[in-house]
Amino acid sequence: MDLETLLSYEWGTMAPEFIILGVATALSLLDLFMPKKVDRRILGWLGFTGILAAIVALVSLIGHDTTSILFDTFRLDGFAKAFKLILLAGAALVLLLAIDYEPKEGMKEYRGEFFYLFLTALLGAMMMSSSGDLITLFIGLELLSLSSYILAGMRKKNLQSNESAMKYVINGGISTAITLFGMSYVYGLTGTTNLKEMSLILGNIADPQHVYILGLAFFLIFIGLSFKIASAPFHMWAPDVYEGAPTPVTAFLSVVSKTAGFVILLRLLLAIFASVPVQGDGAEPLPLLLRMQDYLAFLAGATMIIGNVIALRQRNVKRLFAYSSIAHAGYILVALTTMSYFMFDAIWFYLLAYLFMNLGAFAILQLITSKTGSEDIGQFAGLYQRAPVLAVGMGIFILSLAGIPGTAGFIGKLNIFMGALIREPAHFVLVGIMIVMTVVSYVYYFGLFTQMFFRPAADDSKLKLSPGITTVVVICAAATVLFGIMPNLALDFFHQNFNGFSDFLQ
Amino acid sequence: MELLNLYQNNYLIVFVFLCLGVILPLVALYLGKLLRPYKPYDAKYTTYESGIEPFHDSRVQFNVRYYIFALMFVIFDVETVFLYPWAVAYEKLGIFALIEMLIFVLMLVIGLVYAWKKKVLKWT
Repeated sequence: MDLETLLSYEWGTMAPEFIILGVATALSLLDLFMPKKVDRRILGWLGFTGILAAIVALVSLIGHDTTSILFDTFRLDGFAKAFKLILLAGAALVLLLAIDYEPKEGMKEYRGEFFYLFLTALLGAMMMSSSGDLITLFIGLELLSLSSYILAGMRKKNLQSNESAMKYVINGGISTAITLFGMSYVYGLTGTTNLKEMSLILGNIADPQHVYILGLAFFLIFIGLSFKIASAPFHMWAPDVYEGAPTPVTAFLSVVSKTAGFVILLRLLLAIFASVPVQGDGAEPLPLLLRMQDYLAFLAGATMIIGNVIALRQRNVKRLFAYSSIAHAGYILVALTTMSYFMFDAIWFYLLAYLFMNLGAFAILQLITSKTGSEDIGQFAGLYQRAPVLAVGMGIFILSLAGIPGTAGFIGKLNIFMGALIREPAHFVLVGIMIVMTVVSYVYYFGLFTQMFFRPAADDSKLKLSPGITTVVVICAAATVLFGIMPNLALDFFHQNFNGFSDFLQ
Repeated sequence: MELLNLYQNNYLIVFVFLCLGVILPLVALYLGKLLRPYKPYDAKYTTYESGIEPFHDSRVQFNVRYYIFALMFVIFDVETVFLYPWAVAYEKLGIFALIEMLIFVLMLVIGLVYAWKKKVLKWT
């Protein structure tokens, strides 16, 4: 390839990635050469500015045409833009939490690394959302995973953090191997790693044996990636890892990493398996993806049931939120299973709502657990007397997580219901499970509520608010209520700018 | 269905080899046990260490620093592996590969600087 072809690509469309990469590299060098005495928090603010710059660059690209660089290894389409916005916003808020994070034993030596590892993980997630090539997608997945393994074990002297990192690495390794095995089948059948070419070749597949292998590949890829979104059958790591990891990392895993998991899942499943025709009982061949709906529905139902029912017994708040995040992955899987016309809207909006309500809850959780050093649910007792504003904020997040009208979480769930019921035949069983499980989730969400508002406080000492956490709580609470009352703000933005992802495979 | 049977039959030979692989050592060891005389005494039970009297535990703890060194070695080994084919085919690959290689080497140099500053290159 000569220089002219190289320069003919529109590298400007990669600006957000370049900014994150540059800032991450700069931070790592600065961290190395800055004198030991300088407070490393400045690096965190630098990283935060970098993410904001990337958001600005991305917003300026929203009107840009679909572009592809180097045979689709990087592509900027509506899908990529929409989900990159969520990833960047989530990472920015998480970084604010990380700046204020102060564990008991301190983290003087590693604080710099803490910040730029978030950025490299974010870079991996962004690559996952805007690539049309298996290899680049996989590299993005690995970049995200490897960075988060280290992040989970950031508290070197803390036994639980070590345990969490260890479990995360081992489980992650297994799941990656499974995903890769599935990808190898797909590659073996098509002889290309480019998703677009793949879907063309697979569209003409006739041999039933090949379809059988593709079915296997579908399950391998889905099961492997269910690790990233923490859904059944790869959900068992979540509670242990969430409990041991530093709180900002837990927030990152439950929001940004999960979003990235759904992004790569959508990209792979829709690009590869939606075009495979399967001759069924009827005369019309159906896509393989639709044939798999029953299995997906089973896994979605199992995820919701496991997450919500086990959460009932948790006393540790971080574990409780881990199970709650498993349950939320189940809700989003319902939207994925139904594959209705509104699937993208429902998933995108739910992830957006989830980003704000969950990060807000984690901000308050970090404040309270780091103050007392205990993660017991009793620490929330009497929060209303100690810090009324904070309690109201937490109240909003919990109401939204539970899906009460007036909050973004409700609209998100409503979208999923509508999508599931609009299909012919409608998924009544799945919707039934989702409603019942939402009611079950009220028990533990409102358990937190009673602790905050009706129990006497264990100690009346003032909670000291730091600027980072305050900002996160305010932004998240405002967004949760705003998108709950005026969801069309987000949905109209989505419809106007991304054309319903019509350029997904072009 | 016929194809599936054919496909599964191909695995029969794998199964046969699996059985052979398990049976062969079992039979060989059992025959050896039948043929050899059995006269044990204490000296026979000691570990054979090239004729030297064994003096401590055979498992030795290695210094953990070897591990870090090995990691560093692997990284730069892989770097050379990538550099060689590029150098050989430089004429054909042109300027694009040169830029890619520069980025690649630059990233690795940053890694080396990181290791250096974190005192990985020092033994003590």
